[in-house]
Amino acid sequence: MAQRAVWLISHEPGSPLCGTVRFSRRYPTVEKRAKVFNGASYVPVPEDGPFLKALLFELRLLRDDKDFSESRDSCSHINKTSIYALPIGGEELWPVVAFMKNGMIYACVPLVEQTLSPRPPLISISGISQGFELLFGIQGFLYSGQKNDSELNTKLSQLPDLLLQACPFGTLLDANLQNSLDSINFASVTHPQKQPTWKAGTYKGKPQVSISITEKVKSMQYDKQDIADTWQVIGVVTCKCDLEGSMPNVTISLSLPTNGSPLQDILVHPCVTSLDSAILTSSSIDAADDSAFSGPYKFPLTPPLESFNLCYYTSQVPVPPILGFYQVKEEEVQLKITVNLKLHESVKNSFEFCEARIPFYNRGPVTHVEYKVSFGQLEVFREKSLLIWNIGQKFPKSMEISLSGTVTFGAKSHEKQPFDQICIGGTAYLKLHFRILDYTLTGCYADQHSVQVFASGKPKISTYRKLISSDYYIWNSKAPAPVTYGSLSL
Amino acid sequence: MGPTSRETWAQRLGTFRASPSTFMAGPEGEDLGRHLLSDLRSEKLSEPTKVSLLALSLEYPAQLWPDAPAAEVAATSLLDTLVLLPPRPSALRRPLLLAATTALAAGGALGPTSRASRRLLPLLLGLASGRDLGRSFGPASEQRPLQATAWECLRELESCKPGLLGGCLGLLRGLLGQEAAVQPLSLLLALALRNALVIQARARAGLQGLLVAGDCPTEGGPWNWMLAEEGDAHLQPQAPSWPAAEEGECCLATLELSPEEARELRAAVAQLLDISYLLTPVAQAQLLWLLGWALRGLRGQPPVLFKPQLVRLLGTAQLTLLHAVLALKAAFGEALFTAQDEALLLRRLILAAQHPALPLPAHLFYLHCLLNFPENWPLGPAGEEAAPLLLGSQLCRGLLPSLLHDPMALLARLHLLCLLCVEDEEKEEKGQDQSPRQYLEELLAGLRQRAALDGGPRALATLCFQASYLVARCLAGQPVVLTPLTHGLAQLYRARPALAPHFVDLLDRVGPELGEPLKVVLRQEVVSRPGRDEALRWHLQMLARVADGDAQSATLGFLQAAAARCTDWGLQQALLQVCRALLRAGVGGGLADLLQALARQLEDPDGRDHARLYYILLAHLEEPKLGVALGPSLAAPALASSLVAENQGFAAALMVQEAPAPIRLSMGPHRAKGPVPVLQLQVEVLEQVYSLELRFRVERQLYAPLGAVHVPCLCPGRPTRPLLLPLQPRRPAPARLAVRALYTTPSGLTCHAHLPPLLVNFADLFLPFPQPPEGAELGFFEELWDSCLPKGTESRLWCPVGPHGLEALVSRHLEPFVVVAQPPTSYLIAIRLPPDSRLLLRLEAAQADGVPVALRTDDWAVLPLVGDYLRGLSAAG
Repeated sequence: MAQRAVWLISHEPGSPLCGTVRFSRRYPTVEKRAKVFNGASYVPVPEDGPFLKALLFELRLLRDDKDFSESRDSCSHINKTSIYALPIGGEELWPVVAFMKNGMIYACVPLVEQTLSPRPPLISISGISQGFELLFGIQGFLYSGQKNDSELNTKLSQLPDLLLQACPFGTLLDANLQNSLDSINFASVTHPQKQPTWKAGTYKGKPQVSISITEKVKSMQYDKQDIADTWQVIGVVTCKCDLEGSMPNVTISLSLPTNGSPLQDILVHPCVTSLDSAILTSSSIDAADDSAFSGPYKFPLTPPLESFNLCYYTSQVPVPPILGFYQVKEEEVQLKITVNLKLHESVKNSFEFCEARIPFYNRGPVTHVEYKVSFGQLEVFREKSLLIWNIGQKFPKSMEISLSGTVTFGAKSHEKQPFDQICIGGTAYLKLHFRILDYTLTGCYADQHSVQVFASGKPKISTYRKLISSDYYIWNSKAPAPVTYGSLSL
Repeated sequence: MGPTSRETWAQRLGTFRASPSTFMAGPEGEDLGRHLLSDLRSEKLSEPTKVSLLALSLEYPAQLWPDAPAAEVAATSLLDTLVLLPPRPSALRRPLLLAATTALAAGGALGPTSRASRRLLPLLLGLASGRDLGRSFGPASEQRPLQATAWECLRELESCKPGLLGGCLGLLRGLLGQEAAVQPLSLLLALALRNALVIQARARAGLQGLLVAGDCPTEGGPWNWMLAEEGDAHLQPQAPSWPAAEEGECCLATLELSPEEARELRAAVAQLLDISYLLTPVAQAQLLWLLGWALRGLRGQPPVLFKPQLVRLLGTAQLTLLHAVLALKAAFGEALFTAQDEALLLRRLILAAQHPALPLPAHLFYLHCLLNFPENWPLGPAGEEAAPLLLGSQLCRGLLPSLLHDPMALLARLHLLCLLCVEDEEKEEKGQDQSPRQYLEELLAGLRQRAALDGGPRALATLCFQASYLVARCLAGQPVVLTPLTHGLAQLYRARPALAPHFVDLLDRVGPELGEPLKVVLRQEVVSRPGRDEALRWHLQMLARVADGDAQSATLGFLQAAAARCTDWGLQQALLQVCRALLRAGVGGGLADLLQALARQLEDPDGRDHARLYYILLAHLEEPKLGVALGPSLAAPALASSLVAENQGFAAALMVQEAPAPIRLSMGPHRAKGPVPVLQLQVEVLEQVYSLELRFRVERQLYAPLGAVHVPCLCPGRPTRPLLLPLQPRRPAPARLAVRALYTTPSGLTCHAHLPPLLVNFADLFLPFPQPPEGAELGFFEELWDSCLPKGTESRLWCPVGPHGLEALVSRHLEPFVVVAQPPTSYLIAIRLPPDSRLLLRLEAAQADGVPVALRTDDWAVLPLVGDYLRGLSAAG
């Protein structure tokens, strides 16, 4: 289980090669083993230039998809994972783990410790998951707190040293590169026994624990008889435990009020030492019933030094926070739109912000808008063919607001106006963006008494909560809309 | 030469990295490795520069030091540099250790005869175990990182040379209890343990107390290479413990452990697992793969040791950990996972495959794992993707595709949906839920709608066709799915004919279940709707693929109408392509009229020529030959230009092709009878051939021209009769026959091949005289003997006889020609040499080592040949 090579490639659509290798690292001792293990099916790791070209082609990132190319567009050329076979010099380099995120392509070639013909199933190759972790680790390092290009460049320049630490011979030792960076800095500290490897040093200072719960709510609303609306809450609990001692024990509990929605699909951080089987089995896969485990959810753990995501969960709350409908009627060059939004009474009516974005795709620029809003203000972005309905901090007492109007479009020119592959014909959506502080939709909270710390000194415990919208769509109910299987089978 | 400056190095390294092969081929390539080593000791270069030099050596040792001796020299130099470092803190120690290790392992120099290995190993072990190295090795602050690095170096060496640390297992175990470097030590111990088990199992030996063995060699002391030498031939996979993938390869079952050893082993594994929590998640995963592999198939080692870890591991979102659990599942099956455990694992996997907190690549990998889930009791065939038995449509609801998904996710989920549709069909149940099949239809319709978008990106069209292909492959037996798919695709074509290349590609790849009906509806779509100019190009391309013998009149009508609008060269070529397809399909009458019309009407002379050619072919060639003549060229892949492709096709079909020999000829046993010498040729058939004609040409015209030999059919593997080739020598002399073969291949091409020449030996021409009446043999011989002179000549020579004596020699080579025999010492031999010469031999008074031969012949010219022949006899035995 090791990597033969790893690359970072920035995707640059305008440049002649469409990309640049920003970082690459080869592992010759692993390559040597690959030669032995793969035998006649061995394909050497190519140099950066040919690799770049082959990868961009395979990922469809070269700007020449005007003509049908069999090697790329053939219907039988199906990739169902982020693992590719790259044709290079008449041979195929496989498996290449690769994905793109924020314009950066992350790629590596895991060692396969057997012959490659026939290709073994990916599940049997231990280097695959390790490759993913390495790339996720690099990605996490590059984009943690990174704001601009110069910071990115600084981080890129740190990579060779970091990988020398975290992956000296191609076998990944720690996917948390920040941890490796810290351990370089902590190197001079003498260590007590049995320090976890994922903890680079020990904390010295005032003990404090901070727990913040962030819930995202997403929704698909159709306002149709035969299609059910869907919504889901996704929660993440982030902790930072500044505690003295090499392995302080902490138990963090999450609680729900009596009418709270049970947490499901809980994934925990590896530092959690044990799990209640009720936590492990509570899952959204099962049909909901009243017997669902509703906490408290206890997580005994030994915290790492840095801030970490204690757990992720999902939850099915009984109603969406904002229920709405959106109707679009096409009348020659005009669209007649009606929007209605209603905040559920159980939801805290105090937003940091709340707005509805109403985009129009595959049409010309907006030339004229006539509208009436019962509340808030409407902004028109003509060139972007976009309306933004700014609702503000509060819904009115009635909890219900509406917008109606007509939008006129100019002639369509392909280059400028936004293209969308979903919003064809009458298919259209509006998307809600909002944030509510000190609130969770499930009701989930962590209070000071729910945190037990077995370490010297009584720590200061602070907790935070917030709800934000994410992918909150309301589809035009007068036209077809993309559905998930779940919407149909209810 | 003095040391290179920092700037020069920076520039040199940059050029090297841009293309190592180009750099190495250039003027600076040869000495790069040497300069690098010497400059590492230069006092003028700063540490960061030296670190960058070492970084290069870590990545490209094979380019810098291409063979084992060079790698050995490099490792020695790196080690020297290391010990010569002044005792102040330095950033060079770690990379120097790594570089020396890399040079030895990657250069293939690691071994008992390598001095650098003998220096490096004890040094690493000393550093790692925190032993006093005799002199201060760097400042105290560097000890901990150096220690961790040393462990990693040792592990890499053990990976590349399994068994290397087999002698240190006891020491490693001892240290595990005390050392702070838990992770590197755990991983090394697990690896060394696994390697030792495999090597000992192969040698059918026990652990031989390795786990409790005491000390390891110190610096300068001898290293124990025994286990490594045994394991050397078999580099061991560290992880692929996937039982299905390499069934029967696991040989640990043969390992006999004493109860004491088994207990020690269990204790060691338990110890490793107990502290595994202290390792990083990726390291924990490695440990689990290694230990799973170590214990799999080992008798008396129940896998329950792993059980306490599982709940903790299942709770995390870490890709490597869940993957490692799946590996344990595959390795131990029911012994570690009860049916309930299996169900829980599967549910966690389903959850992970759709959890919104995880990134897309992880979702896709989990989905792959789901379709390759190592079930306790799998039902389907191994190695095929299938939905596990426990995975019903209820559990999969969240995993089904929607148009909102990324293409890869959509295809992966679509595959799952198809598998569910198969099950759905098998169950024939109609539940409350919408049936997956209906959902599938709507999804495909949505994809087609997107693909139909004029000016939309090609990726959308590709996705639609990929989905259609996937469905056609998974649900080939379900007309209820394929029928709406066929019509949907026809509609898509109507909406966007520019997708013709995609349709052609799809037709080329799907089976007849979708392919045949799709062909029909697409043809209808094209011929019933003569499109505008832009679409005409696509229509013609489409028609060239789908036109066949059916619906001739509609097709021809369309073409006739289209011909008037085919004004440019490309369109005319496309039109002719369709004609060509019709020709191949055997369409006759109406096509002839069309071709004649085209031959007159087309503007482009090249187009007219082609039309005329097709017409001539249609009029003159029979249907099968026509098919072959117009078939795709076997020699070269189809090219974009129809002309080139066409020419190749014709050339291949209508000309004789040079080809490698389809058969092999060799000389069979000599047939000494009849009026003329006849060669028996043995045939070895390499490829199937028809109408084989073998042509022979005698070099220097020593024989009369030879007739050709004809064989109707030859098949590899079927016995063949020898071919008889009569010779008419003009002089009794050996000769070379040049051989050519002309034949037809199964695909109808005519080929010719040159075969290696055949050698006709002097003895191959020998014929016996007619048998004289009984009792008259001696007189007959004497008469011949006397008749040779005075025209001919007499000679005497000594013919050495091999160990088997004269009798054996004669019976083997001269039997048919013996006139009078008095075994074992005396033979009179008469040989006829066509065309009209004779050779008479008297072999009398044989001695132990030879026989004096008196010979007469009426042909002077054969004397040297006879001499060679007789001398060759004893050598031939």
